[in-house]
Amino acid sequence: MAKEQQHIPASKVARSAKFVGTGIKIGGNYIKHYSKKLFNPDLSKEELNEDNATDIYESLSQLKGSALKVAQMLSMDKNILPKAYVDKFSMSQYNAPPLSGPLIVQTFKKHFGKSPEQIYDKFNLKSSNAASIGQVHQAELKEEKLAVKIQYPGVGSSISSDLKMVKPFAFRLLGMSEAELAVYMKEVEERLLEETDYELELRSSMKISEACKDIPNLVFPKYYPELSGPRVITMSWLNGLHLKEFLATEPSQETRNQIGQALWDFYNFQQHELRAVHADPHPGNFLITPEGKLGIIDFGCIKSLPDSFYYPFFATTSSDLMDNKEKTIKAFRQLEMILPKDNEAQVEFYYQTYREMISLFAQPYAKGSFDFSKNGYFDQLYAFGEKLAKMPEFKQARGVKHFIYVNRTNFGLYSILHELGAQVRTDTYKPHLKTDY
Amino acid sequence: MASKQKIQIAYLDYVLSEGKRPASVFAFAKKHKFAEEEFYQHFASFDAIEADVWASLFITTIAEVKAQEIWSQYSSREKALSFFYSFFELLKSKRSFVSYSIGNFKKGLQTPVQLQESKSVFADFSDELIKEGLESGELAERKFLSDRYQDALWFQLIFVLNFWLKDHSAGFEKTDEAIEKGVNLSFDLFQQGPLDSILSYGKFVFQNVMK
Repeated sequence: MAKEQQHIPASKVARSAKFVGTGIKIGGNYIKHYSKKLFNPDLSKEELNEDNATDIYESLSQLKGSALKVAQMLSMDKNILPKAYVDKFSMSQYNAPPLSGPLIVQTFKKHFGKSPEQIYDKFNLKSSNAASIGQVHQAELKEEKLAVKIQYPGVGSSISSDLKMVKPFAFRLLGMSEAELAVYMKEVEERLLEETDYELELRSSMKISEACKDIPNLVFPKYYPELSGPRVITMSWLNGLHLKEFLATEPSQETRNQIGQALWDFYNFQQHELRAVHADPHPGNFLITPEGKLGIIDFGCIKSLPDSFYYPFFATTSSDLMDNKEKTIKAFRQLEMILPKDNEAQVEFYYQTYREMISLFAQPYAKGSFDFSKNGYFDQLYAFGEKLAKMPEFKQARGVKHFIYVNRTNFGLYSILHELGAQVRTDTYKPHLKTDY
Repeated sequence: MASKQKIQIAYLDYVLSEGKRPASVFAFAKKHKFAEEEFYQHFASFDAIEADVWASLFITTIAEVKAQEIWSQYSSREKALSFFYSFFELLKSKRSFVSYSIGNFKKGLQTPVQLQESKSVFADFSDELIKEGLESGELAERKFLSDRYQDALWFQLIFVLNFWLKDHSAGFEKTDEAIEKGVNLSFDLFQQGPLDSILSYGKFVFQNVMK
C-alpha cells in the first residue's frame, strides 16, 4: 500500500528539493544496479526500472496538483515508459494526501457563506478519494447521494512553477529536446489551467453529458450548478468500480465488449460530432456500474479540435488519401510534421515514417471492427514508439501542438480498451472528411 | 457620558481615516466632547483601545469555532486549524485596523503591548487544545518541551498574520495554504516522531551499552 503522507512539501524550494532527492536516489539505483551486475551479469534491467519507478513515485506522490497531474499524464503514455514506471504511476491516480476538515469548512464558508453541514443534509468530512487537483466527498441532500468535489487551494497558481520543475525531469525521462518541450509545455499549461477552473468544468460537464445522452450504455452524473462554485462541484453519486477492480471480478467477454463499445462511441462521437473531446482518458475518470454501464465522472480536461487540424489529420487516417503521395505530403505539411525548411531527403524520410505511423494508428478504423485484446497490435505500437524515440531525427519538435492531447486521448483510449480486452465496432461514429482544407 | 464602545468607535474612525493617532487623549476627548477622565475610566491609553480590539477578535473567533456542531468531533489538530481559518476570515473585516495597528508595534522579541491581552486569551485556548491532545495521545508528552507547544502555535499565528498582510492572492488563498501547511507541520512536530525514538534509543544505549 502507499506510504502514508506526513506532510506536503510547502514552497517551491522544498518541492524542488524533492525532485533533486529523486535524481540522487535514481543515481544510487544505477550504482546499485551496476554493482550487483558485476557479480551477476544476468540481472535484468527490469529490477532497476522498478527501483527507479518506486523512488520517482514516492517523491511525486508527495506533491499535489500539477506535478501529480504530470505523473498521471506520463502514466498514460505506456508506449514511452517501461512497464515498471507505469504500474507505479498508475497508483498515483488514486492516492494523494487529504485536506483537513477545517479547510473544507473554510472553502464552503468562503464561497457559499455556509458550512457544508448547513448546505447538505449529510456531509462526510473524510474524503472518499482524491481527484488529483482536488478530492471527493460523499454527501446527501433530500435522500439523494451526492459526490462533492473540492479543489485544493493554490493549485492554479502553482501550476507554472510546478511545470518548470518537471521540465528537466521530463527532459531526462522522455529524452525530448528543449524546443519540443517548450512548444508542448505551453499547451499542457493551458489545459492544466483550464482544469483548475471548476466553473468551466461544470459547464463542459453539463454540455457534453447532454450531447452524449443518447449513446447506449453510458451514464453521467447529474450536476447541481446551484451547489457548485469556483472550488466546488456537486454532482450525483455514481455507484461502480474502477477499471482494475472491475477486471478483478472477471467479467464476461460480453460485458467487456459492452463497456469497450460505450467507451469507443463516447470518444469518437466527441471527436467527430462535437469536435471537442474529454482528453483525460485515465482509468480514474471512469466507473463501471453494476448494470454493466460506463460512468464518466470527470470533465476537467477538454480539448477542442480546430478545423485546421481535424480535416488534414482525419483525411490521412480515414480516406484513401495516403495512396496519393503528393496529397499526403500536403496534409503532413499542414500538420507541421513536415516543415518548410526540410530538404528533399528529409521530406522523403518523414513522409515514409509518418505514413507508417499513421497507418498503424488507423488500423482499428480500417475494418468495421477491431479486437483490442490482442497483444500483437500493441507490441507493434510500442516497438514503433521505441524506434522513433531512438531516431535522432525525432529529437526535434514535429507536429502541431494539438497532437499531444489528441495522441494522449487516442492512445489512452486504445490502452484502456486493451486492458479491457474488448472487441469493438469501430464504424459507429465515422470521421467527417473534407479534402479541400 | 461617553461609553466604552463609543470611545472605541471614535478612536478607530480617527486612526483609520487619519492614518495616525490623535495628538493626545486631551485633544481626542475635546474633539468628541467628553471629559478626559472619562477616557481613563475605560482605557489607560490609546494602546489599550487597540489591545481591546485585538482581544475581542480572539474572543469572538474562539466563541465562533466552539459553537460549530462538529467541534467536539475535531482532533486537536483540526481544532487549531479551524481557529486559524476562522480567525483570518474575521480579520478580513478589520484588515485596515490590523495593518494600521501592526505598523505601530514596537519591534523586538517581546510581545507588543497591543497583543498582550490577546496572547493570554489565545494561550488559554491553545493550552486547552494541547492538554486534550496530550490526554488522547494525539500529541507526544515531552519533558519541558510540551509546555512550549502553545508558544509554537502563537509564533505560527504571528507568522501567518504577517504573511496575510502581504498576501495579494485572490480570496487570500495563499494564506489558506500557509495555514494548512504550517499548522499541520507544527502538529506533526508535536506528535510522536522519529526524534522521540532516537532519544529513547540513545538513552537505552547509554544506560545499557556504554556503562
